[in-house]
Formats: sequence, C-alpha cells, structure tokens
Amino acid sequence: MTLSTLVSQLGKRQFALEYQWMKRAVSPILPLREMLERRVAGEPLQYILGEQPFGPLSIKLRSPVLIPRPETEDWAIRLAERLASRPHTRPLSMLDLGTGTGCIPLLICSLLPPGSVQATGIDISEEAVKLATENAALCSPSGNTFRAVRASFLDPLFPHPNLGVHPPFDIVTSNPPYISWHEYTQLSRSVTDYEDPRALFGGPDGLDFYHAIAALATGKRSKSRKYFDRLLK
Amino acid sequence: MSTPEDILRLKQLKETEPIQQAWDDWVSTREALRETTLLLDDPDLRSMASEDHEMLLQSLTEIVKTTFPTILVPPSRTEHMSALMELKSGVGGSEASLFLGDMLRMYLRAAQISRWKANIVSSNNLDTGGVKDAVVEFKGPGAYDALQWESGVHRVQRVPATEQSGRVHTSTVAVVVLPLIEESEAQKEELYSMDDVKVEVMRSRGAGGQHVNKTESAVRLTHIPSGITVAMQDERSQHQNKRRAFSILASRLMEAKLTREMEARRASRRNLVKSADRSDKIRTYNYAQERVTDHRIGLSVKNLTSVMEGEAIQDILSALRRDYEESQMEDLLAE
Repeated sequence: MTLSTLVSQLGKRQFALEYQWMKRAVSPILPLREMLERRVAGEPLQYILGEQPFGPLSIKLRSPVLIPRPETEDWAIRLAERLASRPHTRPLSMLDLGTGTGCIPLLICSLLPPGSVQATGIDISEEAVKLATENAALCSPSGNTFRAVRASFLDPLFPHPNLGVHPPFDIVTSNPPYISWHEYTQLSRSVTDYEDPRALFGGPDGLDFYHAIAALATGKRSKSRKYFDRLLK
Repeated sequence: MSTPEDILRLKQLKETEPIQQAWDDWVSTREALRETTLLLDDPDLRSMASEDHEMLLQSLTEIVKTTFPTILVPPSRTEHMSALMELKSGVGGSEASLFLGDMLRMYLRAAQISRWKANIVSSNNLDTGGVKDAVVEFKGPGAYDALQWESGVHRVQRVPATEQSGRVHTSTVAVVVLPLIEESEAQKEELYSMDDVKVEVMRSRGAGGQHVNKTESAVRLTHIPSGITVAMQDERSQHQNKRRAFSILASRLMEAKLTREMEARRASRRNLVKSADRSDKIRTYNYAQERVTDHRIGLSVKNLTSVMEGEAIQDILSALRRDYEESQMEDLLAE
C-alpha cells in the first residue's frame, strides 16, 4: 500500500532511484518500512537518510536545518577551485553568514590545502550551530579550521566583540534566506513543513538579508565606525 | 664516449636479446631433435632415444606455443588499464535478472582470483532476488585486457527457479566493458577538452535553489565532436553525478579510440572483433548440458558450475586472449 502510494507520488523513475538509496541506508535503527512511511508522509528523503553528499563530503542533516542545495554545491566548488588556483602567503580568513549545516565553509576547507583557511560560520539557529559543529568534527577539515557561532547578522550590532568574530575577512560567503512572502506561500510542503522558515524567508521581497550583507561589506551599517570596520578587506 | 645513436643501438640490441636467445634455443633444440630421430632407427638406442625425442619435442612445442608468442606479440597498449563493466538484463524478465546476479557473482569471484579490486558502483537489485542492471569497476593491471572480450550478449538456457512446469527458458544479459580511465590518463590520451563538452544539469521547472528540496540531480553531458552523450542520475548529488558522467565519457571515448586503432591495424580476417551490433550473442550458458560455449572462437567448456564459480571462466578468458594474440602475430607477419 505504502509502496504504490509512493510510486504514484514520485513517479516510477524517481521512486526506483530513491528506493535503491533507501535500501542502501537500512540499519537496525532505520528500517526500510520506517523510511517508506516517512517518505509517503512527505518528509524529504535527505532528512530521512540523515545525510547529503556535498562535493566530496557527506554532510549530516537534521530537520529543520536547511538541506544543502545543488546550486550551492556548484558555486562553492567553483569558489574553492578559484581560491586553490592562486598561491597564498598566509591563511585566508573566511566568514559564512547563515551557515546552516556548515556545508559551504566545510567544503572549502576540505578542498584547499591544509593550513590555508580559517573559517567561521554564524547562524541564528541553535540547532544549526549544533549541527554545524557536529559536521566540523565529522569532516575534520585536515589542518583547516572551522567553528560555528550563534549570531544574527541582521542585528545592527553584529558582530558583537564577545563573539570572537573579528573582521576584516578575506572571504565572506552566504546562502542567505531569499524567499519572499508571496513565494513562501507557494512552496511545496516538503519544504515548508520540514525546513526552518528562518533559513528561507527573506522578508517581504526576499531581500532583507542581501541588504544586511551589503551594508556589512561596505561598512555603512552604523553611525559609529568604532564598532564596524569594513567586514571585507 | 657514446653517441645518442650508439645508445639507441645498444638499447635495440638489448631488447632483441630475448628474441635472439629464443631463436638460438629453437635452432639447437630442432637440431638435437633431428639427430635423435635418426637414432630411433637404431634398435639398440631406440628406448633411450625415444625418451630424449619426447623431451625435445616438448621443448620445441613450448618454444613455439609460449616463448615466441610472448616475445613477438607487442605489449598490450592497455595492459595497465582497469575495467568498467556494465551488465543489463535483456530478454527474459526476472529470469534474466536472476542470471545477471549469477554472472555478477562469477565476475566478482574471477576478480578475487585475479587479484583485481572489484567495486560495485551501482546495482538495481530486485526484491525477487535478481539484479536488473549493475555497473562494476575492476581495478588492477590486466583487468581491461582480460575482460574486454566479455562485451556482447550472453545467453542462458535453463529451467528458471520460478518455473513450475520444468520448461527450459532462454534469457539474455548484455555486457559492455570499457577501459576505466583515471583523470590524469584522460588528459594524457587527449580524449576530450572541456570546451567540447556541454554540461546540462537538472533544473526545476519553476524557481530552484531554496524553493525546492527534491533529490533529482541528474546530469547530461554531450561531447560535441563525437555526439556521445552520457546521462547520469544514479547518485544523490550533482557533483557525484557529474564525476561519474565524466568518467564514463572518458571510458567511452577511450574505447572508441582503441577500436579505431585496432581497425587500422587489422589485416587478418580472423581477428576477434568487438561487434558493433549490440545484439550479437557471444556466449551461451546451457545448464542442462552443463556447458558454456563461446561462439567467437568455438570453445566449449564442459564444467558450467566451475565457470559460474569464477574458475573455469579464466580458461575462456585466456583462450580469447590467446586467439587475439595469435591474430596480432598474423597481422605482424602480414605487414
């Protein structure tokens, strides 16, 4: 019953693919029956399987932390390749805004030579920071460092001195929330029911976070320049 | 002081030493055999002579069958290459899939014996126990050389496990074996340039990115100069699908390159040919008669069980290899 429902939900081809992946992931704590039932209920496969390949890494996942997207994988790899192609005389400092699972900085750390990157990821979500920290331990970026810190970059006072986040940075990355209110209401339930709205909703026009990033990057954030250097070198 | 020409000549001399040695052995053994043959007419010396005669004949045969071929056949262009094997069930439904599973086990066991590292890259396992299709990497020197002749349609004749009436069914499994190319090798062989490859990725119909969290990450490559396309969606990420797709593209381009080179060299009609006709049945596995027959060289092996256990299949693979080497020597002579 569950199987045929799933086949009609996903289509034959997609079902065949997902079924193989599920069978490979079967374990004593995750039986096939449970996976199928959760999938029929609409839960994203990535959360059921608990991990997602991202470049050469396997990123641990847990609802509601945002599932890494293939577009992000694509540009993060390109960025790493571009960075790797130039020689650097000292380690690069990197800040990832809204780090979620930590996938972006962890990917870059794993693709660059040891000792060439020191990365920090910030996220407003406690669950994200916890998950990103777990991923950092799992991926062990071989001589490059990554740590996750809880903060909101919409906060006008970001970065607070006690965060340990010290601008300026060589690289600032972000896959910020960019979905507008109107678009959010049209999203499929596999997104809205399971992924953190804070990771998706970017304000009425979806651009709130882009404004924040632009302001941080150009130092136009605060009247008091004492607290804000330019975020970028 | 040696000039470069001297060094080259010395190298050539050194390389021909084994041939010289083998030829000298051949001449002296043949002479000794001739003398011994004469002695066979002498009643007093006959028994001793016939023993010598036997031994010399064996030596001579050994030189012709083994030593000469080893020296004269040019080293294989692909002797270090690993193999990528794709198996697909053909005619016969679930029985074909069951036999595919048996063939898979056969090759995995053969790989163990030959010390290749076998890795099942993907497999579509049916709940009924068969395998609908599978892709396997066999890593190790000589893997491609040994397995390249497995490409083609394998036919099985047996009573399916599920068959109640005891009727024999005929099913087929299609096998394609390609050279497995490392990325550095792909560059060295100049198989393709990135400019010639069109990369298409799965795009959702509406907005993508954060709007959707589907797992579809299919990739399609088109190699524009040759028209070869590779579609890949078996993996869970775009990056993994791209990597596998490029690897398969390299394998297909290398196979095409090798076939062109083989065609260019071919003088003898007897050559083992890799049939372009994908429906050519190259081998039949007849369970009732416990016999495996390779149709290209007309070889029948009477121990089907041993074949499926990965052991006797080696005999078939060696025979195919020898046949190919013989035709290579014929080509040499024809030049």
